[in-house]
Amino acid sequence: MHREWRSGSLRRVSAATMPHLLTREAPMDESAGIPRREAVRRLGVLVGGALSSSTVSALLAGCGPEPRDPPASWTPRALSSAQLDRLAAVVDRILPPTDTPGASEVGVPEFIDRLLADWAREDERTRVLDGLDSLDDLSVEALGTPFLEADRAQQTELLSRLDVEAVAARGRDDDPLPFFATLKEWTLVGYYTSEAGATRELQWLAAPGRFDGDLPLDEVGRTWA
Amino acid sequence: MGLSRQDVPAGRSRVYDAIVVGSGISGGWAAKELTERGLEVLLLERGGPVEHGPGYITEHKAPWEFELRGRDDRRSMERDQFLQSQAGPVHEATRHFFVNDRENPYTFDEDKPFLWIRGYHLGGRSIMWGRQSYRMGDLDFDANAREGVGVDWPIRYADLAPWYDHVERFAGISGRAEGMPQLPDGAFLPPMPFRAGEVRVKEGIESAFPDRRMTIGRSAVLTQPHEGRGACHYCGPCDRGCSAGAYFCSLSSTLPAARATGRLTVRTDSIVHSVMYDEARDVATGVRVLDAETGEDLEFRSRIVFLCASAFGSTQILLMSRTPRFPGGLGSSSGELGHNIMDHHFKLGARGTVPGLEDRYYFGHRPNGIYLMRFRNVDRASRYPDFLRGYGYQGSAGREGWGRGIGEAGIGEELKARLRTPGEWRMSLVAFGEMLPRHDNHLTLDDYTTDAWGLPALRIHCTLGENELAMRRDMTAAGAEMLEAAGCTDVETWEDVYRPGEGIHEMGTARMGRDPRTSVLNANNQLHDVPNVFVTDGACMTSAACQNPSLTYMALTARAAAFAVEARGRGELPVGPG
Repeated sequence: MHREWRSGSLRRVSAATMPHLLTREAPMDESAGIPRREAVRRLGVLVGGALSSSTVSALLAGCGPEPRDPPASWTPRALSSAQLDRLAAVVDRILPPTDTPGASEVGVPEFIDRLLADWAREDERTRVLDGLDSLDDLSVEALGTPFLEADRAQQTELLSRLDVEAVAARGRDDDPLPFFATLKEWTLVGYYTSEAGATRELQWLAAPGRFDGDLPLDEVGRTWA
Repeated sequence: MGLSRQDVPAGRSRVYDAIVVGSGISGGWAAKELTERGLEVLLLERGGPVEHGPGYITEHKAPWEFELRGRDDRRSMERDQFLQSQAGPVHEATRHFFVNDRENPYTFDEDKPFLWIRGYHLGGRSIMWGRQSYRMGDLDFDANAREGVGVDWPIRYADLAPWYDHVERFAGISGRAEGMPQLPDGAFLPPMPFRAGEVRVKEGIESAFPDRRMTIGRSAVLTQPHEGRGACHYCGPCDRGCSAGAYFCSLSSTLPAARATGRLTVRTDSIVHSVMYDEARDVATGVRVLDAETGEDLEFRSRIVFLCASAFGSTQILLMSRTPRFPGGLGSSSGELGHNIMDHHFKLGARGTVPGLEDRYYFGHRPNGIYLMRFRNVDRASRYPDFLRGYGYQGSAGREGWGRGIGEAGIGEELKARLRTPGEWRMSLVAFGEMLPRHDNHLTLDDYTTDAWGLPALRIHCTLGENELAMRRDMTAAGAEMLEAAGCTDVETWEDVYRPGEGIHEMGTARMGRDPRTSVLNANNQLHDVPNVFVTDGACMTSAACQNPSLTYMALTARAAAFAVEARGRGELPVGPG
């Protein structure tokens, strides 16, 4: 009698065969506030607390292979070459080279290009790309010169202004966020989850081997990646 | 490993002592206990094989080895896992352990969303589970009878306590004995330590509220080598799988024990869709299987059947097992089969900053948090008029990491330098509340929707009741009150939309009870209607309590398996062929 459930021969299901199955557009997305919070929280699961692990920077520097973040070569899929040039400058003003590499050196522009090509929603992609396109106008207006022709201090000054606005918008939970808020978020994610960002700028261990819940910060050193 | 799919002959050539359906937490325990007690067991798993170790394809991957760095492959997940991916545990590092929603549909009313989060593979959700392991006590087993809710549990804590001991000794549960009546202690391995900020909050809460207790999570993660498995190395993301076997899962723990007996046969890709029933003898005689790869229909025969296919999975099999005597499905005579869905409602709580301790930090990732035990309605003094039962909090204190830079002003060298040092200590409490059993929370076979194999999908109807809604108002406020009492600053409450099922603790659809007219299973997890069919997963739960349920499934399964073997030995269990 169980055969009554077989509606014809064995077949793979398709959306067309399941008209009563709710799609994602149905009620599950009604809480508009969730996706961003969820995204941040999951990020925490994957790259924040969950991977928190330890070493001393010196130990890592001495025993690990050289970081291999910078891709040998790559071709942007979402960014034009003009957009890529501006993006590389922007991410390096957000996280510049210091005693550790800057954001462009560890492949953050490639990561952002991947997000734009494979992950971002259409409106988000458009907003970020338009934002990069608008940098020259903003720069001419504020500094009297196109963005890439301004010196680093001037670029930083302009972006700091955008950053103040972006942080305020985030505080208000604006939707959509200004393009710079998105770029800053993606830059930090791309950088601190890169091998150099995680192991040289911060610290990371694949297998700490023990857990100690209370020890002096001085003994630990830096933030866990 | 057990035999592969092709090596297991179907049909009448062999009669097993027992068939176990499902290889997750309950099925693994059934296989272990039944084989160790001398039975020849066939374990049927609807999903494919996963090999302990090599099957954990994302284990120990560094963040930079994930293409999207934890952002999830949004487009493919929205296509293939549009429901699964809405639950927290389903993300870029774990999604391969969760089902494809297009192949495995279920339905619900548009205004009553339900999240049914599943893993169809050898080991089931025991690979990705949260590992929190708590006993239920008489506060829980008594509650339905005391308050006139649902039906009475047919057992009490004394019936289950030795079986909690039994499963804890094998699984290895780390934790602290606290001597609190609302949450019985167990046979614990050494507890994991608190973090400095948690100690501060614990002391503050317990001094302001002497009847309340914050303990370290009781977790099925080993703090020392145990039963041939390695101790935790504190890498963090257990849900990717652990080659060291440092947490309890079927693949690391129960299935190897069952295999060691030489009496276990495993067949994967075997979708059990009904129990075979002999009308004349009034016994089950085995199960019917649809081979997930070939589409073949197969029959496997046994004297005893253990359904451990997850609460809804086992219930679905019973609903599909229609016979002339049981037109509503095997075991349906009470009218309660498929009813009384429960979950743990959550996604709300409180958080705040723990001031000071700027010079303290921690080493290693502890795959565990704190547990703040239920304190409402645990005795006369804590009687709370707004609702029945109660809730507990899980959470942790930690220092903010680099992610705080996203929302703080500043760019450049100053930002980099600032994020090298951890930020403030933040304490988070997430409340998990008991859901009462209600007959109208139920599932049925969907008349219109079939899965990729042509089997009927489930249609799920489940909402929160008045008691849960009243409880939720207290779950945020009481958390904030405690954090403030503990000296936290910037204390805030929070609440996100909770969809039933999201706790991934679905249960109750074949409840245990004393009376065959009002319950599906008896005190030994046998179908009242067909006593050689046992259901020992979450379906059997008569009430939900507020603590994580898996340890209770383990204990109930081991107890039922021992009963089955002993009753059969005494000739008191009617059995199938042979």
